[in-house]
Amino acid sequence: MATQHSRAAARLMISPAVILLLGWMLIPLGMTIYFSFLRYNLLMPGTEAWAGFENYSYFLTDPAFFAAIWNTLFLVGGVLLITVVGGILLALLLDQPFWGQGIVRLLVIAPFFVMPTVSALVWKNMFMNPVNGLFAFLADAIGMQPVDFFAEIPLLSIILIVAWGWLPFATLILLTAMQSLDGEQLEASEMDGAGAVSRFFHIVLPHLARAITVVILIQTIFLLSIFAEILVTTNGGPGTATTNLTFLVYAESLLRFDVGTGSAGGVVAVILANIVAIFLMRMIGKNLDA
Amino acid sequence: MGRITLDKITKSFGDVQVIPPLDLTIEDGEFVVFVGPSGCGKSTLLRLIAGLEDVSSGEIRIDGKNATETPPAKRGLAMVFQSYALYPHMSVRKNIAFPLRMAGMDQKEQDRRIDNAAKVLNLSDYLDRRPGQLSGGQRQRVAIGRAIVREPAAFLFDEPLSNLDAALRVGMRLEISELHNRLETTMIYVTHDQVEAMTMADKIVVLRAGLIEQVGSPLDLYKHPRNLFVAGFIGSPTMNLIAGEPARAYDATTIGVRPEHMALSTESGKWTGKVGVAEHLGSDTFLHIHETGLAETITVRADGEVTLRHGDTVHLTPVEDKIHRFDGEGMRIS
Amino acid sequence: MARAVSTRRKAAVTALAWTIGILIFFPIFWTILTSFKTEAEAVATPPSLFNFNWTLENYTTVQDRSNYGRHFLNSVVISLGSTFLGLVIAVPAAWAMAFVPGKQTKNVLMWMLSTKMLPPVGVLIPIYLIFRNTGLLDTRVALIIVLTLINLPIIVWMLYTYFREIPGEILEAARMDGATLRYEILYVLTPMALPGIASTFLLNVILAWNEAFWTLNLTAANAAPLTAFIASYSSPEGLFYAKLSAASTMAIAPILILGWFSQKQLVRGLTFGAVK
Repeated sequence: MATQHSRAAARLMISPAVILLLGWMLIPLGMTIYFSFLRYNLLMPGTEAWAGFENYSYFLTDPAFFAAIWNTLFLVGGVLLITVVGGILLALLLDQPFWGQGIVRLLVIAPFFVMPTVSALVWKNMFMNPVNGLFAFLADAIGMQPVDFFAEIPLLSIILIVAWGWLPFATLILLTAMQSLDGEQLEASEMDGAGAVSRFFHIVLPHLARAITVVILIQTIFLLSIFAEILVTTNGGPGTATTNLTFLVYAESLLRFDVGTGSAGGVVAVILANIVAIFLMRMIGKNLDA
Repeated sequence: MGRITLDKITKSFGDVQVIPPLDLTIEDGEFVVFVGPSGCGKSTLLRLIAGLEDVSSGEIRIDGKNATETPPAKRGLAMVFQSYALYPHMSVRKNIAFPLRMAGMDQKEQDRRIDNAAKVLNLSDYLDRRPGQLSGGQRQRVAIGRAIVREPAAFLFDEPLSNLDAALRVGMRLEISELHNRLETTMIYVTHDQVEAMTMADKIVVLRAGLIEQVGSPLDLYKHPRNLFVAGFIGSPTMNLIAGEPARAYDATTIGVRPEHMALSTESGKWTGKVGVAEHLGSDTFLHIHETGLAETITVRADGEVTLRHGDTVHLTPVEDKIHRFDGEGMRIS
Repeated sequence: MARAVSTRRKAAVTALAWTIGILIFFPIFWTILTSFKTEAEAVATPPSLFNFNWTLENYTTVQDRSNYGRHFLNSVVISLGSTFLGLVIAVPAAWAMAFVPGKQTKNVLMWMLSTKMLPPVGVLIPIYLIFRNTGLLDTRVALIIVLTLINLPIIVWMLYTYFREIPGEILEAARMDGATLRYEILYVLTPMALPGIASTFLLNVILAWNEAFWTLNLTAANAAPLTAFIASYSSPEGLFYAKLSAASTMAIAPILILGWFSQKQLVRGLTFGAVK
């Protein structure tokens, strides 16, 4: 269905979306790149000056930067590990027939809909608080020393909170993928003498491979930008123990008002995200033809 | 009136020319069938006539008026799509009314035409249902109803029966033919099924790779296929094509003998072979003969009472004046 | 083929699945429960499960003290506004890409997706400065603009995958029947795509409601939606668990219910159709 007329109409209808997104991408990104080469502090307006790569060398050699990179990696990696492994196990479980499937599904999916500030504060105060938290109570009950989560294992605590929010997402996607597995294929492999374990590794897991990749890539995109959970629990601390790249850039620019360094950090974050994005786009691009 | 003239039209998608320059005239009131294997450009040709695609060059005239640039709705043509393309959120009545509503026709006239079409198509009891509640055949009739009410200059059918099961297809074929007899409106019908073409058409246009291989009446094509392609495409079971020594005996590169023009004998004949599979249809028996030295398989149509079985030896003789002869280019020698 | 499963096995799976489901849901349940306790009971040891004096006082305190209604309204306006605006821009674009695909369609789609991968910190400063200099900082308008833009690729993609399932022949039929483009989109395509549009709408309201980078960075007192309002509980004063719980319950309840309705579409929307 393509006549000159409809093609012209199509171009016209697609252009608002394209122009807006183009503007959204190019203008601020261009400004960020420009700022990253300036000595620019919001507290000292009018003193902007060309700085060359100074901001970059400052940002990239800052010990906080290395801490932030590690923290970002641990945060992303930890959450991915928990959600993917947990998601596969949960999907396997929920794929079995049992009473009340619908309700359990609702219970499991629920955390995904909880806004990050709520989940972080609820976990921090009502569960992980070393005095009044439920975990402290449970530890006491079995005669153990309560853990002061945000003092002793701050990053792990944040990983747990974030993983709780994303586990439903991974589970739901993996469950959806699992349900599309042809039952006859499983029965055939059973006839061929494959036990439950080898069925999982030879049939189910390969079938899930694509969904797992999608889960990893999409979560990575979101996890690289974790912000609210850190802001309301630890504010990046103690020290830089929970400062990820996103939070570091935020701190540089909006807490220390150093726009130049913050922008350089922003550019670095964009580059890192792009590396992940390229893989994701390949995945989805392939799917587009199907 | 519905006389449609295609004057040297071409269609290219990018660098690929799917329709090379093509001329064709469809007379008013004619039932024309475009037939050919998939990918032959028959649907594209129909869509060019409909205006759903632009021609790359050339001119389309409807009743003498140049319609090349006219938008689809203004060409006075109605189309019945392969998937019926009914509006799922509208009742049958609203579906049929849609083109009339678009044309701004007054309500009384709309109702008159809808009731009329519903009566003709046996849809009166279903007017308030949604398409989803109808059977395949009924949906097909609604799609036709939506076309009829516009009183178009010509109907365009794009493989309309391919989504129906075999039994319904035969029934709908008859209904469409009867409709044509009653309305006497031009109809252009696209199909890949040569049986539909043979049974319905006044005029068949055989297409291959965008080229018209032959235009003619069904019997004309059956009796005088212009080349090997048409010979092999028209007729069921397909014509036996024999090349080599037996063909040279007839001064041809290839000869063609239809299964029904091959005499069968258990005693003597021109050629000899062994029965492979015998398909008993009751009225006829189709025998697939092997080891004849003519071709891999020779198909013969015999009467329903034949009792030959796998492995029996048989003798074949072609009906001499029904032999089709083709030259090295595959063109008919007459 | 579904096979008969022994009742014993089914019972065991049921027990395990329910246990895990309840554990995962427990923090939400606990929050809701705590919101009905008094502050003293909220931190009591041992914690009481149901045998406490149920009270609604936290809900009234939250409202009295912090103008909760205003933040709730901000959340509603921002999430609905950005989703509506996004749909208005995205429906025509998705129509064009689904029904008049060209050589560039795939690239345009991929490019749109790539904008979604731009980390927000990469553009935080310019956006912040632009809004500051135009006086839009801490306004709902600013957040509607930003959230529309960051969710636009998802909206376009979701609609595109839904539209592609609608046979193009129906739109062609409408065109043959004399429908104009506007009529074709409004009265033929839209009604048929309504389930898809509805789920796109739901998912994007959820995403916008829970968005917590831009809402935290671009608002102060005036336009702060619930995400930012709840964040203000991060610096505690005295006993506040019950009040935090009440505020949290009100913040998540509406979206939790919407989310439960749209869980199927969530998979499709967030994986850009890569998993169905």
